Amino acid sequence: MAAVLHHVSLSNLSHVFRDGRSPLSALEAVGLAVPPGQFTSVIGPSGCGKSTLLRIVGGLLKPSAGTVLLSGRPPQAAQREREIGFVFQDPALLPWRSVLANIRLPLEIDHLERRRRLPDPEQLLDLVGLSDFRDYYPHQLSGGMQQRVAIARALAFNPALLLMDEPFGALDEITRSAMRYELLRIWEAHPGPAGRKTVLFVTHSIQEAVVMSDRVVVLTSRPGSVRADIDIELPRPRTEEMERTQPFLDYVYYLRNLLKEAPL
Amino acid sequence: MKGPLRAFAAHVLPPAAALVLALLMWEAWVQWRDVSILVVPPPSAVAERFFERPGFFWREGGWTLYEATLGLLLGSAVAIGLAVVMAHSTLAERTLFPLAIIVKVTPLVAVAPVLVILLGFGTTPKVVVAALLSFFPMLLNAMTGFRDVNPGALQFLRSLRASPWQVFWKLRVPSAQPYLLVALKITYPLALIGAVVAEWFTGDRGLGLVIFSANYNLDTPTLFAAIGVLAMTGVSINVLLSLVERRLLFWHESVRSTR
Ligand SMILES: Nc1ncnc2c1ncn2[C@@H]1O[C@H](COP(=O)(O)OP(=O)(O)OP(=O)(O)O)[C@@H](O)[C@H]1O
Ligand SMILES: [Mg+2]
Repeated sequence: MAAVLHHVSLSNLSHVFRDGRSPLSALEAVGLAVPPGQFTSVIGPSGCGKSTLLRIVGGLLKPSAGTVLLSGRPPQAAQREREIGFVFQDPALLPWRSVLANIRLPLEIDHLERRRRLPDPEQLLDLVGLSDFRDYYPHQLSGGMQQRVAIARALAFNPALLLMDEPFGALDEITRSAMRYELLRIWEAHPGPAGRKTVLFVTHSIQEAVVMSDRVVVLTSRPGSVRADIDIELPRPRTEEMERTQPFLDYVYYLRNLLKEAPL
Repeated sequence: MKGPLRAFAAHVLPPAAALVLALLMWEAWVQWRDVSILVVPPPSAVAERFFERPGFFWREGGWTLYEATLGLLLGSAVAIGLAVVMAHSTLAERTLFPLAIIVKVTPLVAVAPVLVILLGFGTTPKVVVAALLSFFPMLLNAMTGFRDVNPGALQFLRSLRASPWQVFWKLRVPSAQPYLLVALKITYPLALIGAVVAEWFTGDRGLGLVIFSANYNLDTPTLFAAIGVLAMTGVSINVLLSLVERRLLFWHESVRSTR
């Protein structure tokens, strides 16, 4: 019953990769329930299974055990309704397509317009601040601009759930910091069909997790399971000034210690 | 008008100058050492022979080009078709790839006479030999190309439940383009060689016949003129393919890095 209230609910989720030389346990008994509209960050040591977790939630990978429900249905159902938007660390744009054509790609996969009111690709470009670059090709854009195209592409179906796997991992620190606030602005300015989109955001940066999230989930090292789950009670909209306030610094400090203690 | 001129100066002049220099040295060597025309003709004699009847050389060259092109199309079509199947199924790959290797390691020059007996004269045996020669490089490149897709883009398409058909046309085919063009640069000259070898054995037309009979008659100027026409054809094809590449692959590193 409670599961239906949650947008993402994972229970007892485990995953073992069996394609290597020996079975490799990547996730173990992960439980997590995310209400609609929450911005949740997932942090944890490298290789602890964050990407694996995201791929399972997005229906790209079948877990070895446990259940995933998205608004009470399996991920495949949400996929079919185009309710999931993916952004990866590598923008993974199609280099032979212009910016606009890249953002249109999802609409070519499925002509959902008839069933649902979708944002105009040009508007999405405007939203990510790239209207002047609609006819450019990915190789003519900076890394940050490419990632903004990838974000716009993920928004093409106006998905209720955004899954982001270290989307700013490849950017320099200054661009990265700007992109955080940019994404928050987009998130606030571009609600899904039923209010704000739910976001699952994987990052390596504690700072980033605290700046962006309503909630931070810390995973243990491999096999990953939930080590801590804390709410970030900082007011929104978040600002850069906030990064110098005591409550912010306390969260960062607290999380840093948690990660330091992560057992090997 | 400055751009094209400069491009011409940068790309055409150096190799042309090198070629002219090589021809001059060849001419000087033949004159100086008094090399017999039966062994190596001077370039001037070759040019003279060519300009005596250029129509003949172009016509025979045209036959060879025609057969090679048909063979290339046939070989490529089969190779690409197989590559599509193999890129999607490991079982198909395990079954078919060893067979493809057999085609590759068979010495075609040895097989050509058999093919001629089997297929008779006319266009067919040349097309088949050209197809066989161009088949394997195209297969390898196409297979690699269809698989060399950006994993993020593939996952993104999967997350949208794109059908294998959509993934193929929207991602695999464009990703394979650079590989296919490289393959063509390798296989087109191979197809020309294949056609020439087959003409050699059927002996009814084409540069292969010209080379064969010139060899038989110890007519080295004709022999070299035919080889020259063959070389020119190959170079033209390569230039053409490079132009197509620049046009089509403006987005690819291989083209961007030469700008
Ligand atoms: N396709 C796969 N086959 C086998 N093992 C895999 C596969 N994908 C991931 N793994 C293993 O699963 C573990 C978790 O990988 P995952 O990519 O989820 O980690 P991560 O937390 O995202 O790491 P990072 O922070 O470095 O991105 C790793 O030990 C990795 O080696
Ligand atoms: Mg990862």
